[in-house]
Amino acid sequence: MISIADKIATMWPEITLFIGTCIVMVLGLSSKLVMRKACSPVAGLSLIIAGLLALQNDDAVGVMPYLMPYAKALIAGVGLLLLMLLAGTVDRDQEMRIAGGAAFNPLSSTRAEFYAFFLFSLTGLMLCTGAEDLIWLFLALELTSLPTYIMVTISTSRSRGQEAGIKYFFLGALGAAIFLYGFALLYGGTGTTNLVEMQTQFAQGQINTIAMLGLILSVIGVSFKIAAVPMHFYTADVYQGAAAPVSAFLAFVPKAAGFFAIMLLVSTVGWNQGVAGGLPEPLHATLWMMAVATMTLGNVLALLQHSVKRMLAYSSIAHSGYMLVGVIAGPGETGSGSLGFVGNGLAAVLFYLFSYGVMNLGVFAVVACLEKTGDSGERVEAEQVGDLQGLIRTKPLLAVVLTICAFSLLGLPPMLGFFGKLPLFTSGIRAGEIPLVVILGLNSAIAAFYYLRLVKAAIIDEPAPNAEPLVSTPFGARTLAAGLSAAGVVVFIVLAGPVMRSSERAAVVRDVSALEVHDLADGQNAVPVAVND
Amino acid sequence: MNGLTLSETDFLDYAPIGIIILMAVTFALANVVLTLMLGPSRKGKTKGMTYESGMKPIGTARKRFNIRFYLIAMVFLVFDVEVIFLYPWASTFPNIEPRSPEGLIWLGRIFFFMFTTVVAYIYGFRKGIFRFD
Repeated sequence: MISIADKIATMWPEITLFIGTCIVMVLGLSSKLVMRKACSPVAGLSLIIAGLLALQNDDAVGVMPYLMPYAKALIAGVGLLLLMLLAGTVDRDQEMRIAGGAAFNPLSSTRAEFYAFFLFSLTGLMLCTGAEDLIWLFLALELTSLPTYIMVTISTSRSRGQEAGIKYFFLGALGAAIFLYGFALLYGGTGTTNLVEMQTQFAQGQINTIAMLGLILSVIGVSFKIAAVPMHFYTADVYQGAAAPVSAFLAFVPKAAGFFAIMLLVSTVGWNQGVAGGLPEPLHATLWMMAVATMTLGNVLALLQHSVKRMLAYSSIAHSGYMLVGVIAGPGETGSGSLGFVGNGLAAVLFYLFSYGVMNLGVFAVVACLEKTGDSGERVEAEQVGDLQGLIRTKPLLAVVLTICAFSLLGLPPMLGFFGKLPLFTSGIRAGEIPLVVILGLNSAIAAFYYLRLVKAAIIDEPAPNAEPLVSTPFGARTLAAGLSAAGVVVFIVLAGPVMRSSERAAVVRDVSALEVHDLADGQNAVPVAVND
Repeated sequence: MNGLTLSETDFLDYAPIGIIILMAVTFALANVVLTLMLGPSRKGKTKGMTYESGMKPIGTARKRFNIRFYLIAMVFLVFDVEVIFLYPWASTFPNIEPRSPEGLIWLGRIFFFMFTTVVAYIYGFRKGIFRFD
């Protein structure tokens, strides 16, 4: 049994983020501008410290013992980029009024809450990675999600943000109810909430009907977080209604939480259960249908969109479908017969989360950097594809960023997205999922159409003669985030090796095949086998 | 500990739950129906008036309240929940072996928990919800 002290030793990153949250919550309500401006640097500092602390700790915990260092460092890294992108999302009007001589009104300011919820959500995401108990997993998932509902609502003063927040909240509650019901059935079927004990029981061949039903319901409920069919309905409306930086946040944070949760849950049954290996048949069928429906529906509906944000929402659905292929393929054999990174589906998912986080953020950053004058004279986001026409003439940097990131999302070699997608294909082939891999290939081809349309609008098209001129938002940090993610897409082509190796290490599932029968009596003593690194 | 298959589960074990649900529904329905059938029905202005503990109501309840009541209620909730957690903690803490590292962790956790409440209080204070002017 892991003692409380050991457990706390793995949680220093979360504690750091929480302390950061407490400071930000008080700083953001200061009447001095300097103190209010310090919110973002304090949040950034706590993220950096949390990331460094995460790399220090290497304790083996739970069913995926080495997931934490990689996942938490990834969260901190992408979190930093998101933090830059979120600059100026809230309180813009109020800051302008204060600059014009008005007094600071703490009740109508939302800066403190916004940054605090940002950090809370990332704390929840980090807690997800170390979950070894269903209760823990549920609390962590909800800690990730609840702040995002509020962030969506306060991200824009328009009523669309509120509509999006309400839709997101109610559908989120539905998703939570479904996976909580699944957790209850899992507990009913196994008699334990501990994932490690559950895995030990399943390894003894005791997957009963109730537990299997619970597992399937949990996966379907958690698919709300990753925006997979059949829980994808909110995605387009919410992404469009929220401000672009918050949409970028939604595209990464809940999705990562969902994938960590799905990987942990599916790891308990393991990939050697079916007739010819692989997942047990009912779970395999569920995930297979989800993956196919998710990528096909996401890509086809993305073709029809005129708004960049809606298009990215559907593309985010499609990318979840791609990643589910990796979950179905599983980690493959370990030891000498192993294909290494290319055969490991879980490593592919973990690496894809990294590449998706970086490249998707770039496209959202471009949208967040551009504004036009709306019908009633106020500044609105330039979110239509038509608005981006001729971007290369007016804002060459943003156009280049858009091109690089869109090519990468498309999976065009030699961009980062290609190296992310390739292991999904290879691990799928290794697992013998040929039809699934063919569908994945076809979908990548469909996706080319709308990503290239985006690039065409920005690079080839002439600006419409009577178009509103685009203005940059007055936040340098957003442009910096855009530039950094494009740079990341290029730089990590060369530096992908170390990330791939650590993702492969993080993808190790606690081995139960080597357990002796008398060890199985108490699963607590079971130790994960050494990793080949 | 071991899982049962669905066919091995004895659903008769759950019969008491079913009976209790049945009793609850029957009791509720019976009360409503019996009152309608047996009770005398007198209607009047005074009978239909809002019950205000014997006082004469001075207006409708559907009016706007000052938002500070709502905020104060929220702050109260924070402290209320804190006390709910403090009580079981305090009754369990003496069972821990004195001077063990376990005890230190337990103490640290509850201090951390109380610290979060203090942060919530400072947040509320800075937000200006205790300013009654």
